[in-house]
This record gives sequence, C-alpha cells and structure tokens, in this order.
Amino acid sequence: MKTDDSKAIITGAGINFSFGQGELRKQILFDVELAIQPGEIVLLTGPSGSGKTTLLTLIAGLRKLQEGRLDVLGHSLHNASQADLLQLRRKIGFIFQAHNLLPYLTALQNVQVMFDLQPDVTIKEGRERATRMLQQVGLGERMNYHVSRLSGGQKQRVAIARALVGRPELVLADEPTAALDGTSGREVVNLLQSLAREQKRPILMVTHDVRVLDIADRIIEMQDGHLTASSRGSSSAENHPAKGVQNEPDIANVTL
Amino acid sequence: MSQRIPLAWLQLKHEKMKLFAAVAGVMVSVVLMWMQLGLMKALFASAVVFHGSMNGELVIVHSQYEHLLHSKVFSSRLLYRLRGSPDVSDVFSIYLAPGEWKNPWNGEMRSIQCYGIETDNASLKLPGIEQHLLQLRNTDVFLYDRMARPRFGDVVGAVERREPVELELNRRRMSLAGVVDLGASFGVDGNVLVSHANFLRLFPERKSGEIDVGVVKLMPGISVVSAQKQFQKVLGKEVQVLTVEQFKELELIYWRSATPIGIIFTAGTVVGFFIGFIVVYQILYTDVTNHLPQYATMKAMGFSDGYLYQLVLGQSVQLATMGFIPGSLIAAAMYAGLRKVTQLPLYMEPMRGVFLIFATILMCTFSGMLAVRKLRSADPADVF
Repeated sequence: MKTDDSKAIITGAGINFSFGQGELRKQILFDVELAIQPGEIVLLTGPSGSGKTTLLTLIAGLRKLQEGRLDVLGHSLHNASQADLLQLRRKIGFIFQAHNLLPYLTALQNVQVMFDLQPDVTIKEGRERATRMLQQVGLGERMNYHVSRLSGGQKQRVAIARALVGRPELVLADEPTAALDGTSGREVVNLLQSLAREQKRPILMVTHDVRVLDIADRIIEMQDGHLTASSRGSSSAENHPAKGVQNEPDIANVTL
Repeated sequence: MSQRIPLAWLQLKHEKMKLFAAVAGVMVSVVLMWMQLGLMKALFASAVVFHGSMNGELVIVHSQYEHLLHSKVFSSRLLYRLRGSPDVSDVFSIYLAPGEWKNPWNGEMRSIQCYGIETDNASLKLPGIEQHLLQLRNTDVFLYDRMARPRFGDVVGAVERREPVELELNRRRMSLAGVVDLGASFGVDGNVLVSHANFLRLFPERKSGEIDVGVVKLMPGISVVSAQKQFQKVLGKEVQVLTVEQFKELELIYWRSATPIGIIFTAGTVVGFFIGFIVVYQILYTDVTNHLPQYATMKAMGFSDGYLYQLVLGQSVQLATMGFIPGSLIAAAMYAGLRKVTQLPLYMEPMRGVFLIFATILMCTFSGMLAVRKLRSADPADVF
C-alpha cells in the first residue's frame, strides 16, 4: 500500500466507475481524486444521481473498484479479495439512510451484536460498552425496548450507537437524516459530530440536507460524477485534531 | 464468527404464530413418519409371530420351502438323525396346512391356518400354551388364536362367557380347548393349533411323518452357527437348516416382494418428510426474505455469509427439536391406542427414534440450506 500522504486514511486517484455493459454502459464516476485526513468530518453533497453514494460504496469496499487507485485504512482496494474487503468493512462504522436494525432484538441487543465481529471482546465487556454507548446517545432508559417500539429518531440513534460501539477507524454515513424530521435530524447529526470528536473518528457523510452542513470540517461537492468543489466547513474553524487539513489547499481535488 | 446473542432463537420467538406454524409442521411430519415406519414394521412383524415362537434355535424345512403358505413336506425320520447328537436337547416336528373353518354363528366358510404340534413338550413358546397341552391330546379339540380376525366368529366372547364352543373344521366336529395369542397377518387371518393325531384326522390326505417344520433345541452353550453347519451336512440337501432369524427373513423376503406394503409405507414416510420440509422451508424462506435489508446491512457491516447461514440453520435445528419432542409424544399415544385396537405390535423402538431424529434434523437443515440461498441476493451494496 502506498499513499501520497502517509497520514491520510482515504486516498484515491483516477477513479472511474460505470454501471452496465456495452451500449447500456453508463459512467457514474469520472477521474475522481480525493484524500481524507484522520479525524476529519467531511460531507459529500450534490444532487441525486451525481455519484456520491456510488463513491461511498467504493470506499466502503461494497463494490469492486474498476479503474483507478483507492486506499482506505491501509487496504488497497484495487483487485482486493472478498475476504480483504470484509476485513476492511469490519473497521468501518456504517450509518444508513434506513437504519435496518434487527426488529426482533432490543436496542441493546442490536448494539451488542456488533461484538460478534470482535471475538476478543468478552460478553460482559461488550454489554457494558453497548450500555454506555446507548446512554451516550440518550437511550439509557430504553435499552431493553424492542426497536419496533422506538421512534424514527430513536432508531437512528440506536444505529449510531451500533456504528460507533466497535470503535471503528472510519464512519461512513449515507443520508442519516433523510428519514427524520428537522429536529430529530439536527439531534442525530449533533450527536454524531460530538461522538466523532470525542472518539477522534473521521466521518465521511453523504447528505443533501443543507441544515446539517455546519458540522463539517470540509464539504466536497459532486456533480455528474465529478468532484467539483471542496470548501472548508464552518466547523473547521474550531480546533480539531486534523491539523493537516489546514495546511492543505481548500480545494482538494477539482477535476474536469 | 460465533453468535453470543441467541439471534436464531430470538428471531423465531419474535413471531409467535409463525413459530407455532413451523413447529406444528415439523410435528405433523414427525408423527407421520413414526406412524408409517411403525405400521410397516408392525405389519411385517405380525407375519413372523409364529416363526419367533419356535422353542429352539434352529429350524429345518424342505429345501424348496419358501414361506408358510408355500411349504413342502419332508420325512420326520431325518430329524431322528439329530436326536442322537449330544448337542441337541430336543427336536420337535410341526405340520401345517390351511383348513376350512365354518363360522358357527353365520355358517360362513373361512380359511384358517392349522398347525399340528407335539403335545408332550411345548414346541412353541407361546404364553399360556403349557396349560392347554394336556387337553390338546383329547380327540378333536383345538386351540384358537385370540388375535384372529373377527370374521371367524366371536369365539373369544364365548370363552369369556364360559360357553362351550363347538364348530366344524374341515367338516369335522371340533371343540375348543382354549385360546392362545398368535395374530393375523398378510396371508393368514387366524390360526388353530391341534395335536399331531388331530391334525392327521383333519387332513386325512396327509401322511404321518411327512412334516413341514422341524425345530431343534440345542443344549445350553452350543454354538448355533456351527451346529447349523454340522446339521446341514448330516441332513443333506433335501432340507435347509435355518436359524430362527433366517426363518423369519425368508418369510419377510416373500411378503416384501409380494405386497406393496414396503413401498406404501416408505412412500408415506417420504411424504411426511416432505410435509415438514416444505413447511419449514416456507417459513424460513419468508423470514429470510422479510429480513433481507437487515441481512444486507449486516453483510455491509462486515458480518460474513457464514455468520448469517449459521443464523438460518440454527433456526432449522431449533425447529427440528421443538417439533420432534411433541411429535414423538403424540406418536407414542397413537401407538398405544392402535396397539389396543388392532393388536399390532407397535412400539416406540429406540433405533427408529434415532433414525427419526436424524431424519427430522436433515429435513429442517435441507429447508434451511435451501432458504439460505436467498441470502445471496442480499447485496450489501444495495443498502446505501
């Protein structure tokens, strides 16, 4: 694995990606280049169909890289094996638009399940960490509720607890506020931001919810498969661990 | 990756109606399999009750003997050669032939199996036969099979009412000396036991000393196999010397090929297997389908396919267990009921139980494995 910047946790260059074959082939990503530093909160915005979710699935190791170079958390994704991708995904905390919690489990059990991915964590420790995590997201009182009895915002908070409890090296979030009303969406994003800051976890979040842009250190915009602009988010004025960011140009990658 | 939260069980438990339906499906399947296999075994067992009651270890029949209804006589003088052997404790001879029974109540004629047995020593190990042997020496008396089919008339009822029973057997006036348990089977609706002398009176065309079956009781501690070899050599090719098990097997081979019993009950068992298979498959398949987004999410988060397979297969094994236990209890109750009504030897045999445990687990695992294929369509890339 080689990266341009040894500190960056995600580096990519020359990424092209298409769906379909032959005449139906439709290119989604064009020569994308990006770098994300440790501890950074980066928002990826742009109109629907601009390719931001596709880029996210590539970074997550959920799709096979077709062209270009992409290194995530020390894994080179070019020609990576399924087993390697699985290992990568275990280091990532995922938050989805749909929470997709297991409906037959309680909030606590949904979070605890994550420790099946980390066999070295004992059952007792797993339960304690899951409990603390749920208290942090404000669900200490409802840990033993089945998720069907929780509201949309509460479910998304369980999903955040589930994503962070395993101490991931990177958090990927896809429209985490899309299914929520303004207030719950705000709460969820604030929570995500404060937890990420506390745990020094980098976040890459796809969103077109303009109400939450202020949590970002950096905002990357996408249009028709191109990264068009990168601007410093309002949050970057505050001190945060990723010093490297400030030394770099604001416009990280602009292509075509 | 092992599961520390009992996901399989929690998922099953979550939807009670579905769980109930799945368990009921497995139960029906288990009961069906118990019944089919039990009845098949019992029907075949009923065909060899006589064979199993031989009071000896070796049986001698004509070399062309095929089964009880297709016997061939041989000279009882051959048996005398064995009497001198120090290995032999006793030798018995048995005549057999189908007789014409006239139902004393409605006058109908029925064929009934007649055995001519020795009366100074019990050649058959039937409970209660000893007390009747002395009476059996009288002229024109017989022992009746308590478990014969009712078409022969209510002989048992008459005995219970202590009424004397007299009737015509092969157009000869006979009177009842008592009852023993033998039982009806495929080719035989009932049995009658008489002494050698009375047998020859009933069947005047049969010659004294031309017997159908010889029974050899060995001295204690004598090897059955080596005695069998030795006697076969001594007696020559006219007869075959069989162990009791071989004697039974010969009868079963015939009935297995002559009747569709084996096929019918095996098919019934397979049907039972498939009922359970399909019910469990349906339930697990819909479950997997309903939870596909969740499973795709788990895959995206780094849970392996194996982890999810384990979840679904865990549910199959749990369904198998939950269906097997009550299913077997129901089958035990039905066995007991049928045993009372039909006199068939239906018992919860441990070996059959072990076989059915495996069949049930196999059935559920098959359904699980088929349902699990649906998991492949859970594409983690689709959750975003």
